[in-house]
Amino acid sequence: MSLTASLSSILAPLPATLADAASATIKPAVASPDLSWAGLILLLPAISAVLCGLCAARGVKGKLPGVITALSLLGAFALTLMLYMRCPTDAPRTIHLFDWVSFAWGSGAAEGAKWTSFLAPFSLYVDSLTLLWMLFVTGLGSLIAIYATEYMESDVGKGYARFFGAVSIFLFAMGSLVMGGNLILLYLGWEGVGLASYLLIGYYYSKPSAVAAAKKAFIVNRIGDLGLALGIFLIWVNYGTVEYDALFQAVTASTDSLNDGSEWTKAAIPYCLMLGAFGKSAQFPLYVWLPDAMEGPTPVSALIHAATMVTAGIYLIARTYPLFQLDPGALTVVATIGCITALLAATIGMAQYDIKRVMAYSTVSQLGYMFLGLGVGTTFGAVYHVFTHAFFKALLFLCCGAIMHGMAGQLDLRKMSGLRNVKGFGIISWTFLIGCLCLAGFPFTAGFFSKDSIIAQAFGSGNDRFVLLGWIAVFTAFLTAYYTFRVWFRVCGGPTKYEPGDELHGHGGDDHGHGHGHGHGADDGHGHGGEWHPHGPRLAINGVLLLICLGAILAAVPAYLGGPHQENNWVMKMVSHSSAVGGIPAHDHGASHGADAHAHHALSFTGIADVHTATSVVASVAGILGIAIAAFFHLFNRKAADGLRQTLLSNSLTRWLPIAMENKWYVDEIYHATLRVPARALGHIFEFFDKSVIDGVFVDGGARIPAGLARVFQPLYNGVLQGYAWTMAFGVALIAAWVFWLWLQGGAA
Amino acid sequence: MLPALTYLLLLVPIAAAAAVSLAPSRTAKWIATFGSLTAFVVSLAFAWSFPGWTDGSMHPAEAGVAIMPSLGISLTLGTDSVGLMLILLTTFLMPLAMIGSFTAVTEREKEYYGWFMLLEAAMVGVFLAKDAIMFYTAYEFTLVPMFFLIAIFGGKDRRPASIKFFLYTFLGSVLTLSGIIYIAANYANAHGGQWTFDLATLANHCSTAMDRTTQYWVFILLMAGFAVKVPLFPVHTWLPLAHDQAPTAGSVILAGTLLKLGTYGVYRIALPTAPVGGVELDQFFAILCVIAIVNTALICWVQKDAKKLIAYSSVSHLGFCMLGLFALNPVGATGSVMYMINHGLSTGALFLCIGMIYERYHTKDMEQLGGLFKKMPVWSFFMVLFTFASLGLPGLNGFVGEFLCLMGCFIAEPGAANHPGLLGPWWALIAGSGLILAAMYLLIMLGKLVWGPLREPHVDGHGGSHAGSDGGSHAGSQVSSHDGSRGGSHASSHASSRGSSRGSSRGSSRGSSPDASHGGTLGSVHAHADAHDTHGSALPRDLSAREIGILVPLAVVCLAIGFYPKPMLEAITPSAEKVLAGYPALVTEYAANGSLLPVSAAGASEVAMAQDVGSSDARATQTNELGQTR
Repeated sequence: MSLTASLSSILAPLPATLADAASATIKPAVASPDLSWAGLILLLPAISAVLCGLCAARGVKGKLPGVITALSLLGAFALTLMLYMRCPTDAPRTIHLFDWVSFAWGSGAAEGAKWTSFLAPFSLYVDSLTLLWMLFVTGLGSLIAIYATEYMESDVGKGYARFFGAVSIFLFAMGSLVMGGNLILLYLGWEGVGLASYLLIGYYYSKPSAVAAAKKAFIVNRIGDLGLALGIFLIWVNYGTVEYDALFQAVTASTDSLNDGSEWTKAAIPYCLMLGAFGKSAQFPLYVWLPDAMEGPTPVSALIHAATMVTAGIYLIARTYPLFQLDPGALTVVATIGCITALLAATIGMAQYDIKRVMAYSTVSQLGYMFLGLGVGTTFGAVYHVFTHAFFKALLFLCCGAIMHGMAGQLDLRKMSGLRNVKGFGIISWTFLIGCLCLAGFPFTAGFFSKDSIIAQAFGSGNDRFVLLGWIAVFTAFLTAYYTFRVWFRVCGGPTKYEPGDELHGHGGDDHGHGHGHGHGADDGHGHGGEWHPHGPRLAINGVLLLICLGAILAAVPAYLGGPHQENNWVMKMVSHSSAVGGIPAHDHGASHGADAHAHHALSFTGIADVHTATSVVASVAGILGIAIAAFFHLFNRKAADGLRQTLLSNSLTRWLPIAMENKWYVDEIYHATLRVPARALGHIFEFFDKSVIDGVFVDGGARIPAGLARVFQPLYNGVLQGYAWTMAFGVALIAAWVFWLWLQGGAA
Repeated sequence: MLPALTYLLLLVPIAAAAAVSLAPSRTAKWIATFGSLTAFVVSLAFAWSFPGWTDGSMHPAEAGVAIMPSLGISLTLGTDSVGLMLILLTTFLMPLAMIGSFTAVTEREKEYYGWFMLLEAAMVGVFLAKDAIMFYTAYEFTLVPMFFLIAIFGGKDRRPASIKFFLYTFLGSVLTLSGIIYIAANYANAHGGQWTFDLATLANHCSTAMDRTTQYWVFILLMAGFAVKVPLFPVHTWLPLAHDQAPTAGSVILAGTLLKLGTYGVYRIALPTAPVGGVELDQFFAILCVIAIVNTALICWVQKDAKKLIAYSSVSHLGFCMLGLFALNPVGATGSVMYMINHGLSTGALFLCIGMIYERYHTKDMEQLGGLFKKMPVWSFFMVLFTFASLGLPGLNGFVGEFLCLMGCFIAEPGAANHPGLLGPWWALIAGSGLILAAMYLLIMLGKLVWGPLREPHVDGHGGSHAGSDGGSHAGSQVSSHDGSRGGSHASSHASSRGSSRGSSRGSSRGSSPDASHGGTLGSVHAHADAHDTHGSALPRDLSAREIGILVPLAVVCLAIGFYPKPMLEAITPSAEKVLAGYPALVTEYAANGSLLPVSAAGASEVAMAQDVGSSDARATQTNELGQTR
């Protein structure tokens, strides 16, 4: 039981001291004009974007755009570090940069003075949550930009400047999203990262699939954006402000107003916001864009579609957590959706052969965990998982990218094996292994701590529904371990055997060699062994892999240093000084119970009193079991895997399972049939209606009325004198009759 | 100073038109460019010295020249901050449209540029008018130049398009005129036969001294013309046709400014003049707006012609704009005016972009054209930028107006604190689906035109008998793909270049290898370039310096408004508040009683619907009036 003992010392329930911190309300912000240099964190990427644009316009040949971007992002990272050190954490800081969408009306009538202005300045709101996010956004951003300077070198002079321009736009937008002091600025960043994502997914623009994926990403995100916009309107309607500082004060001042049943508008806020979050963070039912987003260059997948942008939804909910706390029902929905997504995506990930797709579904699944954490009431767990996931998932993607880079675009795990023994792939293989261990939640890795803190909260919540979700999460952890190591054992383990890809998958058509001087001709694209050699990466890629791998390992350190109750966990401290403080676990039971806080938690049957320890054990077992099964099927006995698949397929009762999983449960097809096809049909119907009915019948038909009338009266003007006489007589009679009628009326009066 | 500038604003374009008609044909474009630039400078000077930026007041305040004192008609010029912004929009777009026409129009230049100058004078006249007759004259006069511009310089269906455009909008405006005359006559009756056509006086008279039923009918009359011009949903069908057939600059001005005459008319005249009608029919028009947004967006989705798509998108976008107005609160109205300006900029720019493509390929068909990024990266950059401006990306100009329009609609509930309205969250939710649909159709357009494998129509470059601006002759079914992978059968005229292209792509791997296709493309590109040179357009492959010079100012303004809309917002809001001054009380009353119209004793029990009450009551009132007159 030494394992249990050591675990319990690390993961014990939170002490009462934290409960005090947690129950503290969010402090009013302090305006800090002296920190206005923090605006440079946004300005640097913006300038870099403009410079990249100029490079593109001038047709600069060379790596200049990459260097500019990497330097400006490093600068932004340095400034963020500086802000982290300089900015006091006692209270949030607001930094007003300039007025943006701000205007006022009315004379501020006494009763409604609150609703006579709309203030959305371009201002920053800096608390520890902001800093935490910005640190890994700019840190990983600059590392990945460095990686990309080498990765994208085959496009130098072609799309190189465009690529880095879009990356810079992304960093600017992500910075606005995270640092913005109000929801409108968040919305700017929200859609801005959508634009960057659109441009980067569609980077290989001559591939129709990339164009379609880019379009899909933006459109699906727009559905969420509408939810976010409506949520912002609702917030303004209810609280009269969209600025975080004023909003949090207004919310904490009137937390009981939800009791007023008529105010459905207040109750709807979290649901609208979560729709936005589900869109951006790829949750069910809006997750479908993220796997397709893998059409983009791999550094982009790592940065935007794994580490940073897709966590914006978690950021949104963590940031507006006070609004979610008003409605436990909303949090339950968040938890449920997160859990469903985690499971669904994991089952799909199990059956994909494209390693980048596996990682994409894994991202969707892990994001589901984060939402589960938010929903069951541990913002700490969610944010810590965001933090660790950012490192290990970026690492995994960069490893995939490096493999792809060296293997001529090969991504099919059936066509690669034993890369660990291939010259130049050593660093990739072993850093890949570290990433996989983290993702699989192998004990004492970063992913293990962060994931378990979420699941433990579900088990310890005392809520039956959450306990069920917790079990699903454990099962998903098992699946995660399986599919993760399925990839690693297939690609890096086993006998060395490989065939190159078609070179086109990720490289938009540089048809040979990336200029590495390997000298293999165009025909090598289909050659085997012989002349073609996979080429390992050079300094920029290897160095970045090692650095991020180090980050992924070190991400566990806060948990080790967290003390017996995680109260010293750096992430815990950051979260507890932010607007997400309300979701610090244990603030509801830490004070009242002592050591036996979870005496009757859902895992009591294990005989372990402490729910965190019990969860760790259960999840470890699940993870190791998953790895073991993966090892059996994909390392030791690969034939068995195919055999199993064949067995399932041959049985009419079970054959749907592998087919449905490999086809992603047909979700895209269902959306296509139920949404896109009918809407498009409506479009055709409306067009027909527009052209034929409105324009054809009413307008053109109406236009024929004068002509028709003319034909009726035409005989009157027949040029025959008698005819005119008759007409005149008729007219005179008509007038006479009218006058007579008037006279009658007058007489009657 | 100020009055002089207003006269100058009108006179400069007219003088330019006169100069165009007198000077030799080859100087026409330079005169028009110079004239429109001068007008822009004058409008900047006017804006610079304008004292009413922050209080929504009309300037210059001086009375103008009386033209028909007996009828109270005068040439009174003046405007407020909103009108001034629209003037700036007009004078800003006009030089760009003129410079954009240099290569597109090479025949009958005197007519072309002359009509445009007159059009500018008329549009500025509308925004400067303080007198109803002056307003109406200028408003109607815009039809004449546009009619000729479409009918002479348009596409192959230009004649029906121009006739429909003219008659349709003319018919609507006649009703507007009758409404104006009715108010004026009513005013004259009430003031002992003293006529006036001063807009502010008439609005004041109508909204305060006239009975509610009459106001209701006046509102309908006024809206009849403006709704066609905007255009609102069921009366919009002239627009796609007109846009489709109009020359590029015509479309730019049509979308950029002419449509805004309608929205401006609603804002400046219909809403403040007859608030009872505005409240009573608020939901009716809002429904039309919502239908326009959704219905037209779906229509955009299935368009194959890029220009038609953008034309339809104007209908959808202006639905947002009108919805903001009918929110009846300062947020919505401010957003609406922002939308007017930003729609003019981004849609105008999109039309310019499409026009540049049309000049090169003589088609706007998205089935034939595609993947132009490969050949025209600079053009593609602008196209993407303006498309995102059009779909309301924050940080670009479209967002502010769209967001505020939706928000205005959202908060326009009867119970809202300061400015109650008759819409609300559900309206905004349905209208908001337009945001998603706009992303769909605009990104589909981008996906076809800008991204994807290069597709170009086959230009029969060796025939040398090009039918100039007539796109129909090129609408052949041969679509060539310059990807190495699609080396199927090709037109014989390109056999040699295709051959080499195929040869170079064989060496490389299969699939759509851009590198290989790049090499392959170059060969045929030259063939195309030659083809283009033969019929005289002599345009470079990507944008020329002139074309970039047109688009850059637009891009800069789009970005500037996106990041610093505050001065505009602050200038619009006071004006919007004045326009909406009479509304809160009426809306509250309407919300409480379900109608504003007096209920006739006989009809009240049986007629439940507010609209029916209105009409039956109106009939009753009319009978009464007849009786009194007699």
